[in-house]
Parts: sequence; C-alpha cells; structure tokens
Amino acid sequence: MTVLKTSMRNFFAHKGRMALSAVAVLLSVAFVCGTLVFTDTMNTTFDKLFAATSSDVTVSSKSASDGGETTSGNGRPPVVPASVLDEVKGADGVKSAEGTVFSTSVTVVDGDKDSLSPTSGGPTIVGNWNTNDARTMDITSGAAPAGADQVMIDADTADKHDLKLGDEIGVISAIGTHRAKVSGIADFTVTNPGAAMFFLDLPTAQRTLVGESGVYTSVNVTAEAGVSDDRLKENVLAALGGTYKVQTAEETADANKESVGDFMNVMKYAMLGFAGIAFLVGIFLIINTFSMLVAQRTREIGLMRAIGSSRKQVNRSVLIEALLLGVIGSVLGVGAGIGLAVGLMKLMGLIGMELSTDDLTVAWTTPALGLLLGVVVTVLAAYLPARRAGKISPMAALRDAGTPADAKAGWIRGGIGLLLTGAGGACLYLAGTADKATDGSLWLGLGVVLSLIGFVVVGPVLASGVVRVLGAVLLRAFGPVGRMAERNALRNPRRTGATGAALMIGLALVACLSVVGSSMVASATEELDKTVGTDFIIGNDMGQLVVPEAVKAVKAVDAVERVTQYKWTEADFTTPDGKTLDDTAITAADPTYATDLRVETVAGKLADAYRPDSMSVHEDFAKDHDVRIGSTIEVAFKDGTTGSLTVRAITSSEGVVDAGAMYTSTATLAKYVPADRMPLDQLVFASAKDGQQDAAYTALKKALDDFPQYKVRDQTDYKEALQDQIGQLLNMIYGLLALAIVVAVLGVVNTLALSVVERTREIGLMRAIGLSRRQLRRMIRLESVVIALFGALLGLGLGMGWGATAQQLLALEGLKVLDIPWPTIIGVFIGSAFVGLFAALVPAFRAGRMNVLNAIATE
Amino acid sequence: MTSAVTIPRHGGTGGSTAVAARARQVVKAYGSGETRVVALDHVDVDIARGRFTAIMGPSGSGKSTLMHCLAGLDTVTSGQIYLDETEITGLKDKKLTRLRRDRIGFIFQAFNLLPTLNAIENITLPMDIAGRKPDKAWLDRVVETVGLAERLRHRPTQLSGGQQQRVAVARALAARPEIIFGDEPTGNLDSRAGAEVLGFLRRSVDELGQTIVMVTHDPVAASYADRVLYLADGRIVDEMHQPTAEQVLDRMKDFDARGRTS
Repeated sequence: MTVLKTSMRNFFAHKGRMALSAVAVLLSVAFVCGTLVFTDTMNTTFDKLFAATSSDVTVSSKSASDGGETTSGNGRPPVVPASVLDEVKGADGVKSAEGTVFSTSVTVVDGDKDSLSPTSGGPTIVGNWNTNDARTMDITSGAAPAGADQVMIDADTADKHDLKLGDEIGVISAIGTHRAKVSGIADFTVTNPGAAMFFLDLPTAQRTLVGESGVYTSVNVTAEAGVSDDRLKENVLAALGGTYKVQTAEETADANKESVGDFMNVMKYAMLGFAGIAFLVGIFLIINTFSMLVAQRTREIGLMRAIGSSRKQVNRSVLIEALLLGVIGSVLGVGAGIGLAVGLMKLMGLIGMELSTDDLTVAWTTPALGLLLGVVVTVLAAYLPARRAGKISPMAALRDAGTPADAKAGWIRGGIGLLLTGAGGACLYLAGTADKATDGSLWLGLGVVLSLIGFVVVGPVLASGVVRVLGAVLLRAFGPVGRMAERNALRNPRRTGATGAALMIGLALVACLSVVGSSMVASATEELDKTVGTDFIIGNDMGQLVVPEAVKAVKAVDAVERVTQYKWTEADFTTPDGKTLDDTAITAADPTYATDLRVETVAGKLADAYRPDSMSVHEDFAKDHDVRIGSTIEVAFKDGTTGSLTVRAITSSEGVVDAGAMYTSTATLAKYVPADRMPLDQLVFASAKDGQQDAAYTALKKALDDFPQYKVRDQTDYKEALQDQIGQLLNMIYGLLALAIVVAVLGVVNTLALSVVERTREIGLMRAIGLSRRQLRRMIRLESVVIALFGALLGLGLGMGWGATAQQLLALEGLKVLDIPWPTIIGVFIGSAFVGLFAALVPAFRAGRMNVLNAIATE
Repeated sequence: MTSAVTIPRHGGTGGSTAVAARARQVVKAYGSGETRVVALDHVDVDIARGRFTAIMGPSGSGKSTLMHCLAGLDTVTSGQIYLDETEITGLKDKKLTRLRRDRIGFIFQAFNLLPTLNAIENITLPMDIAGRKPDKAWLDRVVETVGLAERLRHRPTQLSGGQQQRVAVARALAARPEIIFGDEPTGNLDSRAGAEVLGFLRRSVDELGQTIVMVTHDPVAASYADRVLYLADGRIVDEMHQPTAEQVLDRMKDFDARGRTS
C-alpha cells in the first residue's frame, strides 16, 4: 500500500515532467482510436446509404459488375432489353417493377465548359429520375425533369458550382454531347458520399447514355407485403427467360460495400501503421523520461532502500507510475481520438462528402484497444528504467548529491549494436543483389528491421563520435557556450542516443521514401525518353475512356501528322498447348503505335503484329505457353467472335511502359467485334508535323476545349504529371510521418526540460559567475540542435541506405535509376536544426528565468 | 548599535578608493503583513579594499543574505549598495550579470565547478564567457599559488574536495575581480583541507592585494580575516579587528549567552 502511495505522490509531484510523455501516449492512442472511429463511422454511413438505395431485388445485365459500376469497354453501360421488365412484372410476389438507366462513364460540364465532376474523385452519375432516387432525395426547387431539354441536379453540386434553375449544362457520354437546362434541384436525405448526380427523364436517359430506346441498365423490383427478398429473387429468376444478374437488396449492398470496404481497409491499415511508428517513437520518449526521473531520484530511492524497501518494491513503484501515466495518457487519447475522427469527418465535408455526426460509431473495442495499447506500451517502455531503479544501492542515499553519475555507453552495448547493424547491412546487401524480387523483399524487410534496431542500440556509442564531429564543425563558432553545449550533449550518450534515435526513425522513413520516389521519377523519365516516340498523349486521369467525338476533334487538328488510337479489351486465349486463358488483356492499336512506343522485341518485328490477323505476345507468356513466331492463338474477343491470330513478334520483358502488353491492330479487333461493341480508346497519341510542335499543342488544347475531362500532355507535361503524382503520394506519407516526428520533437523537448531541471545548480553557478541569460539560452538551444542533427544524420544515412537498397531490388521491376534527392535530404537536415531550435524554446526560456539564488540553494 | 562604517584609513590599490563595496540602510524583507520577516534591518557596512573581511553570526542572522545582496545575486527591499562607485541596487539583470562576470568572484560551499569542464577550463570560464583572453602570466601565478599545476586537465570528479575548492579559489582569482565573495568556502572540507584553502585566501590578500568577503560560522576560518563583522537578527552588532580563533569563539559564546538571557 505504501508503494502505491509513494508512486502516486511521486507521479503527481512530477506531473510537469510526465506531461510530455503523457502527450506522446495521448497522440499515439488518439491516432489509433481516431482511425478506428473514423473508418467505422464511414462504414456505418455507407451501410445506411446502400440500405437506403437498394431495391428489394435488382435485375441487371450479366456483364454488369457487382458494385453497380456500369462502365464497359465501349463506354456504354450494359443493358437488359425491355422485355425483362414485363417478365419481372409477371413474376409472383412482385408489387412493382421499374426500369432505370444510369451511367457513371460520363462527364458533365457547365456553360463555361468546366467539368462539374467532384474534385474528390467521387463518381459522376447520370440517370433517369426514378422512385428509388425519390426515396433518398427531396426536390427542393423546380421540378423533376420532363422532356429532352431538362435535367435535375443534386443540391451539393448546384451549391458548389453556383448553378441555378435554367442554367445550361452538357452531358458528354460515349454517344455524344447532350445539352439541357436545369429544371430542378434535389437534396439528399441520406449522406452523399461525394457523388455528383444528374437526372434526366427516362427516354432522354436511354438516348443519351445507351443510344437506344427500350433498354434498361437495371430493373428495380419491389416485393409485395410479406414476400421476402430471397423469395422474390427466386420468383424473378423463374420468370426471366434469359440469364441476368438478379440481386437482393442485401446482395447489392454487400457488393457495394465490398468495393468501398477494400479502400477503407487499405486506408485503415495504412493509418494504423503510422500510428504504430508514432508508438515506437513514443517508447523512446517514455524510456528517457523514466530513466531521467529515476536518475534524479537516486538519493531518494537509496533512502527508501536504506530504510528497508525491497528491490521489488522500488521496481514496482516505478512501474505503478508508468501505469498511471499510461492510463491517463490513454484515456485522454481515446477522447482526443474521437475528436480527431470528428475532425476528419468535417474534413471530408470540405471535399464533398457530408458525414453526419449522428452516425459516429464508437465500437466498444476501440477504447478498449486504445487503453490496452497505451497502457501496455507505457509499462513495457518503463520496464528497463524500473529495473535500473531497483538496482540502486542503499549507499546512494549517503553519497554526495549533485548530478547523477554520467552514464557511459558500454562496450558490450556497442558490440551488440554493431553486430545487429552488420547483420542488417548484410541483409540489405543480399536484398540489393537478389535475383528475384520476392526473395529480395524478404531480405530488405529483415535488413531494415535489423539495421534500425542496430542503430538504436549502437546510437549512444555513435553519439560520442558524431556529436564531437558536429561540435567541431558547427559549435566552435560559438566559443565557450558552444563548447559547453557540446559537452552537455556528450555527458550522457545514452540519453542523447535515445533522444536522437526517436527522431531518427521518422527521418529514416522520410529519406528512404524520398529516395525511392525520386528514383521512380528518374527511372520513368529515362524510360519515357527511351521509348516514347510520340509528341502528345491525350487521356483522362481517372481512367475514363476517350469518346469518339473527342478523337474526331483531335484528328481534325491541322498541325497533327498522325494520331494513334489505343484500345484495350479482354479475350479468352486458346494457345497451341491447348490451354484456355480466360479474360486475358489484349491491347489494340493503330499500326503507327509501333513508332509511338518503341517496345523491344526478342523475336520478330513489332510492326508485323499490326498486320491483319496478327498479334504479338509477351516474352514470359511465350515461354509459359510455348508460343513461337508463327504460332496461332485462338482469341475469343469479349462482346465479339473468335479469330485465329498469328504471332508475329515477341516483346521483351525488360520494358516498363506498357509492361506485359500483347498487341494487335485496331483493324483486326474491328473484324471480330461489332462496331457498337468496339471498346473506346484508353488513350490517344498525337504526333505533330515537323517543326509544328507548339502550334499542334495549342491547337490540340483548343480542340479539346469541349471535353474538359481529357488532358493533352506533351512529354514534359507527362513527366511533370508523373512527378506531381509521386510527389503528392510522398507528401501524404510525409504528412502521416509528421505524427512520429512530432512525438520525437516532444522527446527532445522532454530531454532538454529534464536536463535543465537536473542541472539547476550548474545553471545557478554559471549565472552567478556571469553567464548572461542570452548565453545560457543559446547554450541550451545549441545542445538541442546538436541532438536533433545527430538524429537527422543517423536517420538520413539509414534511410538513404534503405532507399538505395530498395532501388537496387526494384531495378528488377524497372526502377533502374538511383536518384538521391539531395535538395530534400539537405532540406531535411537543415530543417532538423530548426526543429532542434524549436524544441529548445521552452526549456531555454525556463532555464533563463531560473532564480540564481534558488538554483544555488537547490540540493 | 555598532556601525560597520569605517573611515578609510589607507588605500588599497592604485588610485581607487579604499572602500571596495558599501551598503547603506539596506533592508531585505520577505513576505508582508503578519508574515513579514526582516532578514536585513537597515544595515550600513563598508568593505575595505585589499582586506579580508569575515561575516559571522548564528543561523538566520542574515549573514548569507547580506553577502548575496552585496554580490548582486539578490535584490534588496530598500537601501543602496555600491560596488566601488557603481550603485548596483536597481541594476537590471543584464548589467548585474556583466558586473558579476567582470568585477566579482565567487566561491561557494559546494558545487563550484562544472562537471563537464576540466580544472583549467573551469578556472578560465568567467573570462571565456566574457570573451576575454586570460592574462597568461597572471593565470600561471594564480595556478602556482593554489598548487594545481599538475592537475589542470583533471575533471572535477577526479579531484578531492580540497582540490575542487582550490580550483574554485583559482577561478575567483584568475579574472582579477575587484572583490571575491565566499559563502562558507571551507564548510564542506576537513580541517586540513580547509586550512589550505584559507591559507590561499589569506595569501591572495597579502600578496596579490585581493579584496575578500567571506561568510562563515567557523571561528577558525574567521581568524584568517583582518576584520570580523557579527550579525544578529539582521543587524550588525559587533566587529573585531585582527581576530584570533579564541577571541572569535569567546565573542560567539558571549552572543549565545546574551541571546539566551535577553
């Protein structure tokens, strides 16, 4: 009981010193709980949404995808004939059935030809206004569309683009561009997951989206009272002549959820991964805090031992303090996590997804997990310092007070660290020289973990050397103040090592990813330079296909010499070895594509693959299926008939652009696939006449003015876009790593603050003999900068090693160029110095304000 | 009541006045109203230049407070303190710090040295902080006087308590301050080491013309001084010139007896 009491007293007596550790626990727990609450809430929202929007039973084409996605190769949604509606209506237990038409492979523009699609990446949905929609939306102004020139839009889109009744908008589909005026605005009664919705009347929707009347993309069936969805499904299936996809409301919702759920899971685990890194960094902070508190209480603990406390009791009293810290930090963290989730929901609102806080879902497992993690991690981290406290001898009470003995980094520790680092290095070397990416990635993972642990262990030993070098380079300029800062950073290498290591982890990841990212850009740029022979690439960033009207506009440009259409479809291959490969991707392009993209072949000439009834195969495919030049492959095209194509070229597996593609000509594809089933172009390549590049670029942009969904890019744009894309991804990751870095900075602040307390008498003495406040503050800031730079140096070095190894390994996958982004690396290094300055702000201020007399008097 | 203000009899060094520091009507009080405690009660004192002054008195008499105030470490409630001709009462922290750095030396009872610096670095620290080059010849002489030439590269933890205090004395002397304040400088030492340190202080007054003020409760330590001031209840109650240890002890007993009977 006494143990508990002393622990409690100690904890609350030193609550200031515990505060930063508590914040570290809080942040990590908050991130975990925030992630869980947010993803759970998103799931609840989607569950409600899908439940609300699903009909009892939905009938659609067999080729319609499960999630209700309607895009197909020809840019038109798959449809069912009108007869289905009549057949369904005749089935038992059907109260009503309604044919609907909708499509997501559309673009909607306003009068200024600006796209009305959500910028968040949510879908644009155009369909007919049906009873299902009327269930989830209320018309707030105007009226439902009636007639070809009317369209109703959702209120969110109207607000965002400032659209009013009577404004003209254009719906661009594979069929063509349809113009209509806004007749009404409807608001969601359920959460809008970020989609932009446009409603036409049924005949207009049929004409505009699928190009024929009397067909539906789906038939929504409502059951009579007392008829279950499953029963209804059976009845409908029995009544239907052909083979269609028939799903109950539950099945539809499940299918929808699956596509959303995959994305949500990726997001959830990625964020939890970053929370894990923050926890790891937090461990260093907690270890340091308790080590320092134990060191400062050496005399006190010695006294406890002298008057009869057992080792176990001392040990336990420290662990109880850790437990208190863990509980307080975690409880606050759970609360902060819920706040974080609400903040994230508000953030989603900014990008178009209105989430209601009524749906806030806090599963009981979330706070339980948060508490468990926070407490367990804290207590485990405090275990080592607690053990050290237990080892304090009763003699410590009698020894002179003053600063605790400066800990020396042990040789054993250095040896173990070097051994681990060496093992890690060896693994990395194996990874770099691996022949197969799968073997290599295992070595890489092992190498990363071992070298990280090795660096952490060897850190205190390295600290002495690195700090001396940094001191010689940077601190000499600051005279005696610099020298004292250096000595202070050196006096407890274990502490400096642990503080620096915390920063090291985050920065190592930053360095590694920046090396990989910039190598990706450099490799892709090199590959593009080597292989791409065309001037302009035209396509949609979200993977929407290029509509024929846009292709026509491109072809009409004068300065353009040649245009290559690039399509993509699936087919069932029957190879000479008798095997049938279902749904294999095949690329169809104009013969000019052989010039636009220089793909290396190992046999035959690629240009020959574009001859009638010819194709090329990929090197690995040829090997696996014993295909040679002259072999014939039976190709059953999707939505078409079967042709026998002769293999005329085998492409090398070396390339990165279009890796693994198998080519045939557009003409060959057209022979087997009816015109109205022909897939639309994925991309269009245009090459300018000699010397007219600039003119062609301007003209192409102008020609595509009516189609804001497509971008014209020359090679420079394309490279820039690539760079931006990778840059954005990296920035997002850096943003998430910022959490770990914030925790590490808290660690630096904590170490400094505790050091200042520990050195109260020293500071008093220095002030008494004439050190000015300014000099004192500078001394503490310099110490902080040195610790931060030490961490940065280790982290950046380690991270660049990881990154270079990853590049070596990924060279097998085409990441051939190693590019170290020196500006980023140097920027991070210099930034770390500022982080150090920032971390020292408060401790330096407090040291400066210390009363000289009290400082001298402190025992 | 005895006043410690003395008529300057003879000058110390050069042309400066014979009084190194003086206090006029200095009051130091803590708290207010009922809980008001007066540590110094209208104290007037002159510290003679080139002399060794000891301040004695029982615990709580205000002797440490007086020294802290004279040294610019503590602020006064009212009254003035002058260091030579500079009034230090009312100076801001920045100027006070410079004053301590450039014109005053300190020797504390314990914890005089920075553990991260070796002996010679500790000795030159005040000058390093000020960005001044130490006077080499003077430094050598000081080091020799305190007998530390062999141990200049040692860290404080590698020195005995007596050696540590000698380093502290050397530090105080090295910068040639106008005045050195010692707060029980031998309080933590055994009698032999204490005698060594006091001997150095005495010699620095005799040979180097240094002005020293020392707070102590040890009659033997006080006997090294030229003059002893006695404080009781925040007032100077007596003084003694050229004391011996026996005389000091007798006077102390006297005060103790008076304290008990009054």
